[in-house]
Amino acid sequence: MRRWLVPILAGLVLSAGAYQATLLATPYVLMNAAMKKIGARGPENRFAFGQMATADNQPIVRPSPDLSYSTCVFNLAKGPVLIDVEPVPDHYWSVSIFDARTDVAAVRSDRDTGGKPARLALVKAGQKAPEGYEAVRLEHDRGIALIRILLADAEEFPAIDAIRRKSTCRAL
Amino acid sequence: MKSWHRFAICITLGLIGGAAFAVHQVRGGLADGTISNGAWSTGKSFGTVEASVRTRAQVALSGLLALPAKEAMYFTAKKDSDGQPLDGRCTYLVSGGELAGRWWSVTLYEGEGWLVKNSANRWSIPAHAATKGEGGVWTFTVSPESQAGAWLPTGGVKAFDLTLRLYHPSAAVINNPAKASLPAIKRLGCT
Repeated sequence: MRRWLVPILAGLVLSAGAYQATLLATPYVLMNAAMKKIGARGPENRFAFGQMATADNQPIVRPSPDLSYSTCVFNLAKGPVLIDVEPVPDHYWSVSIFDARTDVAAVRSDRDTGGKPARLALVKAGQKAPEGYEAVRLEHDRGIALIRILLADAEEFPAIDAIRRKSTCRAL
Repeated sequence: MKSWHRFAICITLGLIGGAAFAVHQVRGGLADGTISNGAWSTGKSFGTVEASVRTRAQVALSGLLALPAKEAMYFTAKKDSDGQPLDGRCTYLVSGGELAGRWWSVTLYEGEGWLVKNSANRWSIPAHAATKGEGGVWTFTVSPESQAGAWLPTGGVKAFDLTLRLYHPSAAVINNPAKASLPAIKRLGCT
């Protein structure tokens, strides 16, 4: 039995390591899968303007059927990415920047901008935000920018859709 | 048995066991650092760098791209106010008063968080769609069958959960979600 002692201890140590490694890897793996799925809707560094979520249209888990979602899979490898969000009067809207680990790097809503457009420059260390843009610093190259707009009812969608399509995501 | 055989067996079992336990915990739903309030539970560190390794993994699975609490809070109920699991073959009355935030809605999901097919093509009840009663009280009915007033269909699924989204919650709710005034979920009967 004593001959098993060291192998069992080694197995226990490695099981703790595997546990931690799996938890650490999970957000990256799931975010990568989401970027692949969302990225398939359009090119990198461009907004894709999704239809309202229904039982037949659920690009991400736990979507809200009351919000319109516009997504941009960004990549800072070649330089900063600029996000310009067109405000929607009298509606809740926000833009949120998620990094490759799923953490929120920034959220700006109509409450924060006072109804004015949100202008964000996604930058990595050593990159500079151009004039007029608020710098959002990221540690990873890739991530997702997401605009949420609250609709009072489904009939509003065409009008809201026309406004949100003025929002842009573009490499500098 | 040779020594390296013993190491190989224990190391393999250790790696598989550790990874499997992590997957089991993540799939088991949010338990780490969650706050309970009646039938509802939430976390305060969703989407933030303060989230624990386990919370981040769990949110990535069942609520990817969730917002931090200052912007929105997500309360999820898997049980009714009496502690019975929510069953899509049963009818429930959800009732509440004013919620301390700018806007709210309750959405019905199955599994890890998927909208359920139903005849009415309705998946949520936003604040303005609930049936208003006296004294600021509002209600809606969750049921597999069509109901008078505001109705949130279950599609007849075996198990579901309700997610209450509260956008721009008040500072009191952010700081102490356990004491926030949240809706009650009362089971009325089952088919």
